[in-house]
Amino acid sequence: MELSGEQKKLQALFSELKAADEQTTPHFGATWNRAQIAPRKIRVLNPGFVAAMILLVFGVVVFAVWSRYSRTTTSPHPVIATVPPIPGTGAEAPPVATKEPRAPQPKNAVIVARRNKATSQHNAMLAANRRLEKDAKSIANWSSPTSALLESPSDEIFSSLPQLNQSATQLKSFLPNRAN
Amino acid sequence: MDIAELKSELERLHSASFGWALSCCRRDHAEAEEVLQTVYLKILEGKARYRGESSLKTWLFAVIRKTAIGEYRKKLVRSLVFLGSSEKDEDGVSSADGPTKLFEKSELQKQFRVALAKLPSRQREALHLVFYEDLSLSEAANVMGISVGSARQHYERGKKHLREWLSNSETENGIVWRTKETPSAV
Repeated sequence: MELSGEQKKLQALFSELKAADEQTTPHFGATWNRAQIAPRKIRVLNPGFVAAMILLVFGVVVFAVWSRYSRTTTSPHPVIATVPPIPGTGAEAPPVATKEPRAPQPKNAVIVARRNKATSQHNAMLAANRRLEKDAKSIANWSSPTSALLESPSDEIFSSLPQLNQSATQLKSFLPNRAN
Repeated sequence: MDIAELKSELERLHSASFGWALSCCRRDHAEAEEVLQTVYLKILEGKARYRGESSLKTWLFAVIRKTAIGEYRKKLVRSLVFLGSSEKDEDGVSSADGPTKLFEKSELQKQFRVALAKLPSRQREALHLVFYEDLSLSEAANVMGISVGSARQHYERGKKHLREWLSNSETENGIVWRTKETPSAV
């Protein structure tokens, strides 16, 4: 391999550099022994491990927040909203079950849901009371369809007491019938 | 290869290994020594194992290069954390020990070091492995972990840069070097 002038020059410069480096090269034994007695590096905090743990903790926190938020905003039962009474009918319209649109702010949504729930419970109780009252009235006014057949002219005698100022003939009616 | 055998081989290659470590550490003696110590520690701990896939020298140089890169990155992170805590020489050449200072009496050699330090790391590595360590281009490519074609490209570009530097220094010194060059036969 024939080297050109410049290449020879480069080779010479590198050789000079090598010679100078060899003079400053530390003794092999010293370096080797230092390596042997060097304390083993124990990584308490591996950067990769730390990053993974941070990600994990972040994920858990995000999941917890998300689950809490979803539990408070989406109730399993539809919210019962009261409809104002229809004018003219005199009766209050029955509660209508409607699904309310989700409020943009979670706090307001919770308050509205609670208020609606309380109103619907109150309305249901009032309706039940009215129904009971109506039933009691109807039971009190009930009469048997065959009650007219059981009626007799002497019904009044059994249902009333004789009066002292009544005439004797009238009093006779209270006496048992005797064959004269 | 048992550890005693490996140790004797490492001792034989110690000087060349230190020269390569110096090149990988931008001529910083202290850092090169630390890198070499770390490499020996890796070998002792079994973190770096020679499996006979290439020559021992090539494998050792690859380990030194990787370790030097790792140490450099750590140092970079540290310097970013503690900004301005340490400053390097402007020309990238560290202050050397006594014998080196004696050697640097040669002005040309001093300029050569500066020119070498200014080269991109891949070009400097390719030139160092070929001219300093007498490795072939394929061996240099193996050490650098790149293809032979890439290694050749880095080598040629590095040589071109040094040629330019040489011609400039010759002009300054009034010496005329031959600029004609035969294609590389390496």
